[in-house]
Amino acid sequence: MIVLETQNLTKKFGGLTAVNAVSMTINQGDIVGLIGPNGAGKTTFINAISGLNPPTSGMVKMFGKETTGLTPEKMCRLGLSRTFQIPSPFPKMTAIESVMTATIFGNPAGKSDPVAHSREMLEFVEFPMKETVVAEQLNTVQLKRLDLARALASSPKLLFMDELASGLSEGELKDIMRIIDKISKKGISILMIEHIMQLIMAVCNRLLCIQFGTKIAEGPTQEVANDPKVTKAYLGE
Amino acid sequence: MDTTTNDLNMNLFDRVLDKLCLTPIGLAGLILLLILPFIPPFNQEYMLRWLIYCGFIAAMSVGFDFTAGFINIVNFGYMAVAGTGGYTSALLVLNAGLSPWIAMLAGGVSSAILGLVIGMISLRLRGIFAACLSWFFGLAVMGLAIKMVWLTRGPLGLRVPRLFETESNFPFYFLIVILVYLTYLICKWVVRSKMGLAFQAIGQNMDAARTSGIDPVFYRVFNFTMSCAIAGVLGGFYAHFYGILTPDMMHTSKTVEVLAVAYIGGRGSLWGGAVIAFPFIFLMEIVRSTLSHLPGLNLVIYALVLILVMIYYPGGFSYFYDTHIRQPKNRALRYFLNGRDA
Repeated sequence: MIVLETQNLTKKFGGLTAVNAVSMTINQGDIVGLIGPNGAGKTTFINAISGLNPPTSGMVKMFGKETTGLTPEKMCRLGLSRTFQIPSPFPKMTAIESVMTATIFGNPAGKSDPVAHSREMLEFVEFPMKETVVAEQLNTVQLKRLDLARALASSPKLLFMDELASGLSEGELKDIMRIIDKISKKGISILMIEHIMQLIMAVCNRLLCIQFGTKIAEGPTQEVANDPKVTKAYLGE
Repeated sequence: MDTTTNDLNMNLFDRVLDKLCLTPIGLAGLILLLILPFIPPFNQEYMLRWLIYCGFIAAMSVGFDFTAGFINIVNFGYMAVAGTGGYTSALLVLNAGLSPWIAMLAGGVSSAILGLVIGMISLRLRGIFAACLSWFFGLAVMGLAIKMVWLTRGPLGLRVPRLFETESNFPFYFLIVILVYLTYLICKWVVRSKMGLAFQAIGQNMDAARTSGIDPVFYRVFNFTMSCAIAGVLGGFYAHFYGILTPDMMHTSKTVEVLAVAYIGGRGSLWGGAVIAFPFIFLMEIVRSTLSHLPGLNLVIYALVLILVMIYYPGGFSYFYDTHIRQPKNRALRYFLNGRDA
């Protein structure tokens, strides 16, 4: 089943084309890696899909229904959730409150006990601190876990992860891989922006590579990773 | 949001306190406020007038904090919004012969409508831009009050019937204490509900709030409208207490008084401003009356204190209280400061 499909998705900022006619599909159960050099338009691409920065032209379809330009809150209720590159939950809220926000407002099924569900999410991402800790006291690694718990609390069917693993140590990377695996086992399809090839090669089944806003390769992980166009984009001529 | 509210082990007293959003120390403070006018030297009429002004600023700062401390928009035209309520109320009493009590509520409605308009227009703006927009709205409304001489008598001001037909200030004092508490209670109830979570989320991180499924349009406009409605009712009180209403009350410097008190009290606490207003504004009134040859000195002090607080202690009084006073070793004392749910 196709979870998400984009057709010629384009985002322009004035004269600058940040995303240029990118078409792609994500199937049920996929873990798709979105790769590309810095400034390629990866984040802009997922912003355009999730509604934070609506696309200039092109089409987005979720589960076969058109969702182009819907607001992020509507996309959230349709089952799309995301984490942020700079993890930024709500600085003055406690961890459990941050997660409860998404549980209460983003969960289309509605939860009879939002506290219990939020607690479950924090446990799921192996949040290392007490649930009453205030978010602004957390370090980046902990914030990323918290942001992930918040994103999962709305029971998404598709999850965007924006550089979840950047800046992690070897051991933390192993933990994150295990968590990604758990998320996938829950039946959630994943699109992840990532630079760490080690992680991408280990968890992704398909890759999408964009450069200067244009798709240069899409397909099974090994194939794309060995594509000369992709190596060239990363390493130059 | 409180997660412990439904604890069945609480006895009746604690449960009532919890429903009234009070801690034992809060209740004690409220009782102190109610007996204050019987204790010398506060039983003198001029002191009472000061205390009433303290109460007015206290209630205003709660309503102000409801917006500034939660959805993070500083409403720089807050006093002008209150003035709109005051003028509406005064004009309804003078021209339509309405009872001041009903007119006060009508003033609240008119301010709510103004708030709805500002809220809708400032929807796409964030932070300082929304603040500026509300400020300009405030200036425009004040300009109208000055220029529409045929209706408002301009800078000459309106003579307005008072709420109680007595020279004494006592009933006004008790009314404003009740209004301070009611304002706090209503705001606190809303903030304790799911809505409070949405307000905070929008105020702290708009993008994360939206991707978590919160519709910012509804919550922002609702918050803004409610806080303006509160200002309108309080503006009505102001008009029907002083008995004279001039466009001066809408001035930005008055908003700064409210803002200073709310910030020194601690943003996002609701109670901080209400607690700080009484000693702080009272002191300022003393300064103003004893140093009357230096007009505007109190504004300089507001600015200084505000700047110092913003730079060195942005959490304000409520943060200080929460981190240093709230959790003493002694159990009885801890109960007194926190109520049962600690």
